[in-house]
Amino acid sequence: MAGLNRRNFMKFGIASGALLAAGEGLKSQALAGTVKLQMGGKDFNFKTGTERKAIPTACWSCVTRCAAMGFVEDGRLVKMESNPESIRTLGKMCSKGQSGPNDVYFPDRILYPMKRVGKRGEGKWKRITWDTALTELSGRMKKLRDNGHPEKFMFHYGRMKASSSKLIKSVFLANYGTGTISGHTSICEGGKWVAQELTWGKHYDNWDFDKTKFVLNFGSNIQEAHTNHIPTSQRLIRAKVERGVRTVTFDVRYSNTAAKSDEWIPIKPGTDGAVVLAICNVIMKNNLYDKSFFKFIRATENVNASADEKISALKSHLSKYTPKWAEKITGVSASKIESTAKEFAKAKPAVVISYRGAVAHYNGNDTERGCQMLAAITGNIDNPGGRCRGIGPHWKYPKGPKDKPKAKKLKLAHGFPGTVAYPNHGVCQQVLPMIKDGKAGRPEIYMWYCHNPVYVNGDNQGNREVLKDEKMIPFTVTSNIVYDESSKLADMILPDATYLERWDWEDMVSPNQVPEYYIRQALIKPLGEARDLGDVVIELAEKMGMPLGVGSTKEEYVKKSHEMTAKAVKGFPGFDYMKKHGVWHDPNAKPKYYSHKKEIKADKLKDAILDEATGVYWNPKKAHAKNPEKGYAETKKAYKGYVGQKIGEKVYKSFPPDKVNKSGYLELYSALLKKKGFAPLPTYYPIPEHEKMKPDELHLTTYKVAVHVHSRSTHRKWLSEIYHDNPGWMNPKTAADRGIKDGDKIKVKSPIGEIVTNARVTEKIVPGVIAISYHVGREESGRYGSGRKSPVAGGANDNDPDLKNKFWDTYGMHPNWIIPNSDDPINGQQRWMDTVVTVTRA
Amino acid sequence: MEKNKKTKDIPETARQRSNIYGLLTLIYRAEVTKELLKHIRDPEFLSVLSDMGAKLEDDFLTGPEDELIEDLAVEYARLFLGPAKHISPHESIHHDTGDGDWGQFWGKSTVEVKKFIETAGLEYKSEYTGLPDHISVELEFMQEAARREAQAREENDSEGLLYCLKMEKKFIDEHLAKWIPIFCDIVISQAELPFYREMAEVTKHFIEFEKDEINKYISEAGTVLSPDR
Amino acid sequence: MSKKDSISRRDIIKTGGAMAAVVAAGLLPKKAEAAKNGTPRWAMIVDLRRCIGCRGCCVADKSEYGAALGRYNTVVKNVEFGKYPAPKKYFLPRLCNHCSGGEKDVPPCVEKCPEAKSGKRMKLGKTRYRTGATYKRPDGMILLDMSLCIGCYKCIDACPYGVRSIDPFVKLTRPDREKDFGVGKCTFCQHRVDKGIAPSCVNTCQGRARIFGDLNDPDSKVAKLAREFKLLENRDKTTLLPGEKTEPYNLYIDPDGILARYKITKETKLEEFKSRFE
Repeated sequence: MAGLNRRNFMKFGIASGALLAAGEGLKSQALAGTVKLQMGGKDFNFKTGTERKAIPTACWSCVTRCAAMGFVEDGRLVKMESNPESIRTLGKMCSKGQSGPNDVYFPDRILYPMKRVGKRGEGKWKRITWDTALTELSGRMKKLRDNGHPEKFMFHYGRMKASSSKLIKSVFLANYGTGTISGHTSICEGGKWVAQELTWGKHYDNWDFDKTKFVLNFGSNIQEAHTNHIPTSQRLIRAKVERGVRTVTFDVRYSNTAAKSDEWIPIKPGTDGAVVLAICNVIMKNNLYDKSFFKFIRATENVNASADEKISALKSHLSKYTPKWAEKITGVSASKIESTAKEFAKAKPAVVISYRGAVAHYNGNDTERGCQMLAAITGNIDNPGGRCRGIGPHWKYPKGPKDKPKAKKLKLAHGFPGTVAYPNHGVCQQVLPMIKDGKAGRPEIYMWYCHNPVYVNGDNQGNREVLKDEKMIPFTVTSNIVYDESSKLADMILPDATYLERWDWEDMVSPNQVPEYYIRQALIKPLGEARDLGDVVIELAEKMGMPLGVGSTKEEYVKKSHEMTAKAVKGFPGFDYMKKHGVWHDPNAKPKYYSHKKEIKADKLKDAILDEATGVYWNPKKAHAKNPEKGYAETKKAYKGYVGQKIGEKVYKSFPPDKVNKSGYLELYSALLKKKGFAPLPTYYPIPEHEKMKPDELHLTTYKVAVHVHSRSTHRKWLSEIYHDNPGWMNPKTAADRGIKDGDKIKVKSPIGEIVTNARVTEKIVPGVIAISYHVGREESGRYGSGRKSPVAGGANDNDPDLKNKFWDTYGMHPNWIIPNSDDPINGQQRWMDTVVTVTRA
Repeated sequence: MEKNKKTKDIPETARQRSNIYGLLTLIYRAEVTKELLKHIRDPEFLSVLSDMGAKLEDDFLTGPEDELIEDLAVEYARLFLGPAKHISPHESIHHDTGDGDWGQFWGKSTVEVKKFIETAGLEYKSEYTGLPDHISVELEFMQEAARREAQAREENDSEGLLYCLKMEKKFIDEHLAKWIPIFCDIVISQAELPFYREMAEVTKHFIEFEKDEINKYISEAGTVLSPDR
Repeated sequence: MSKKDSISRRDIIKTGGAMAAVVAAGLLPKKAEAAKNGTPRWAMIVDLRRCIGCRGCCVADKSEYGAALGRYNTVVKNVEFGKYPAPKKYFLPRLCNHCSGGEKDVPPCVEKCPEAKSGKRMKLGKTRYRTGATYKRPDGMILLDMSLCIGCYKCIDACPYGVRSIDPFVKLTRPDREKDFGVGKCTFCQHRVDKGIAPSCVNTCQGRARIFGDLNDPDSKVAKLAREFKLLENRDKTTLLPGEKTEPYNLYIDPDGILARYKITKETKLEEFKSRFE
């Protein structure tokens, strides 16, 4: 076509334009709108207009770990946003995530390795080199190991996830040989996890708000703080506004979640379980259950019971839990329980959600299991719009040397012997008390990471005494960014990199049942001499002569993980793509539901044997069972060999166990609980302390607000600017009975101590309760969080021009001083909400 | 002075480019309608086509309207819809991404095109039921992008202009040029009626022309703008 | 008497005349003219049903501008009422209203700025306008040029909403005012919007309670919402302080009548525009 030149194209353009303008009939549009504003992904300097460099990464402010975008200008991190490509966050970020730059640049950050001089806790420090620090630490560690006692090195972490956890725990600590490792899950959500493991196997539930029609909430403050906050909270409010989905919230306190619910139903602390059971009773009694799901339920000792037998077993078990009975215990009217039950059963699908408000109690285990029961009997399990099994990505990662020593351990991580039936996720709050007790031995080196053991467990005074005592723990070391109540008691402080200065692959659960792979990239070089503990352990291992062989930096470890994942996951695009985009999901992936319905084909059962007692097909070899004839239930870690559950004549994937030898049914009837002397079916256990309460005593309850993260964000000035005080909330009636007025100074006294704080008299809480949030009230955490300058030389920097704009000089009062360390006897959850106190004017 | 004169007709150019994309969008979106046929058969329009070297047969020019519409619909279906072997007008079918993720619907390119278009601020209408990387959608996107470019030029919106140009270049380089010429070649070889064959010729050359020209527009925009910046 | 005080008084006299001159010279953009020329009319719509009070917007703003502690471009207020067991709490995001200025077409902050006509003649698209220390762009943004500001702070007094405050991070540059601080407020993130990126607070809003866009584009989301909820017709129910007749372009979707329960007075306006979380 010789005539195709610029001039003719222009003529063609004019002719085409005339044609297009000629009539409506010539418009066929697939696209709507005009080229317009992008929602994000770019940012500019507001003064100069220069575009800021955008680097995809992941937040770490809370455990939600949202895919994020960091904006860097002249090597300085200036702004965080969400990653608009993420299917989890949909480009949204909360206040905590937005305050990310504060985490890097706050003036009291620890930037150099420090060694204590003088007595432990005295606050005198000298700066040392990394080489000195790691030579000393590796020397001490190597000596323990060479003497055959690696277990005397204890590692206690707060938040450590994904690649950080794999590298530090599964590679470094495993090669070193210590099993004396504790997490912190029991002071967070461990109780909920265990209750789910006992019931449907996996530990994490996702709430499918995009597709649900009704939300029933027991003690979750999802709109302010949740372990999967941004992905789920935005979907909940959209469901409400865009689809009119009703939310009913049971809570002691009128939280922001209650405020955004259609109904707040005040309830007496620790009694959620009674309402849940009564709701289940109403549903069963009125035959509003979904019979088809009973196939997958275990409700009796007999694993081969028919659906009708299961139904009648539940009916009879629940018959005592009448709405009238629950009304007396909970303060919620019987008619409200009745109507809520019916509303839930009739809305299909509906989702029951629950968190610490319901679970961090003496009886939390069965409250959570009650919620599972409510979801199960109405068929709202792993279905679109219901309570689904959490779906996350499956990264592959280097595991280090093949021949790892058999781990030795001090039994410090799972509570005092015999006190907790299933401490699947440890008993964090008892670690320091057990060290004090000494019967399980004591570590010679106690190292903590992303953790503040003195402050975030109960009984701060007790914790402090143990950690301070050089006779109980000869050497203490931490890797931290901020000088806090615990690093104060370290013998050596390693300056940690913030999450914005390090590499990770990440794996948090997706809200839409499609897994998302995402990464954290270092946005900038770590400030000062800060180093990621992931990099540090690689060097420690070298120094001890036990190279890990996983690369010389965490970045390399992450890169290798990408290479391995690319081989295992179809379509996974590799490291370069991930560095550019930060996130990836399989575009062809369908949301995962109903995986329990999957049948296990005969060829998969080849190496499996049937355990008649439970109906479980299991592979003893895979479970490393020495005496399979003992049976599935009695073989240690038999669950690792689980293949399927025999139901009728077929075998289903059903609900595989994850941490305990449960059957493949969704176990409303738990043979495991029965074995440990607890009721096998979800049962209401009154809280002993509450039963003995005197009329003048109050419940102490704690809570989170939307603008802080646990007790680890007060050094971030933009958060503390908004929230730096935490007066105790009291109902006007409760206050009046004690002659207390709003703003009065009050004394709050528990069996283990007392604190003085201020009263906030408010309509937004049930009578008989005092509620104190636990973010603030810090003794140390730098000037924005505690008013105190960090004494760590070299770290503190007075150049932050905002220091003179700081206008607040109240820092609140932390409630953990008066909350004892005590456990849910079934799962080891710290009982944050059970403390009984007296409140008087101070 | 020279430069100013040269760049003066560029808003016009952008508008005409937008129009061409618009027309091609119509051609590929669906079967030719009566109304469209009427306009194509307009003598003025035909003379432009013939200037470019596009040869349409006499039948096309003079044949009975209803019959022609029917013939074109049959041809359109045969070429682009199936059900038998056909030339699927979707990028992910033709754009070899080098990693095996192509040659099927909803491939890597589909996702990228959708993301690209949505990032630019457009959304797929709910009544559009096709795939995001249908040729007509990609052309329509360029129609809008070039229109927005023309607007930016008229408003002396230098930032907006560069934004549009870079966006267009990226889309041409990463998508249009990567598959439309290949696709057109197959259409040219398979077409039975001259209409679609000639339109494929025009499309192919236009895209190739665009790929070359867009760099020029960008460097011109850069020089004109730079004294003010 | 400080130098500043004397300047203020002198400037008050200047201001009245200056405004008249500016309007007469046609250098303040006229709504109709701008619309005709295809200039956008930016607006923020805040859907109170959707705000969950997370304060992501507030911190996003802090971060976008590195705003000094104690000064805010946007805040979220709690509006509470009702008694136990049925208390109510709503969240009310607030920012500069980017007022059009009602009948006069001049918002109070621009009207009171003695330097309103001190800037350059500019064009936005085809529409002419003039900058000043505080000025209105044809697309509706109320902006500040701190190189022209004399630090009289009359705009802070003039704004009935209290959204302006002294910015300790901005030093004035005019030779005789170098020791004085400038003024800060929300700019609708002009530096982002001009480059096609949504404002920082909108970008991060998880409830999608903040919707930003061009009212002149009938297909834009803001235009659709404005039609659906009759936001422009019912300004007495969709804007704060309708009695001030400033014609805000920060419009609220407020089916529960929260705006009517929220009080700002001359005395409380500055205190009200601070970020707190109960």
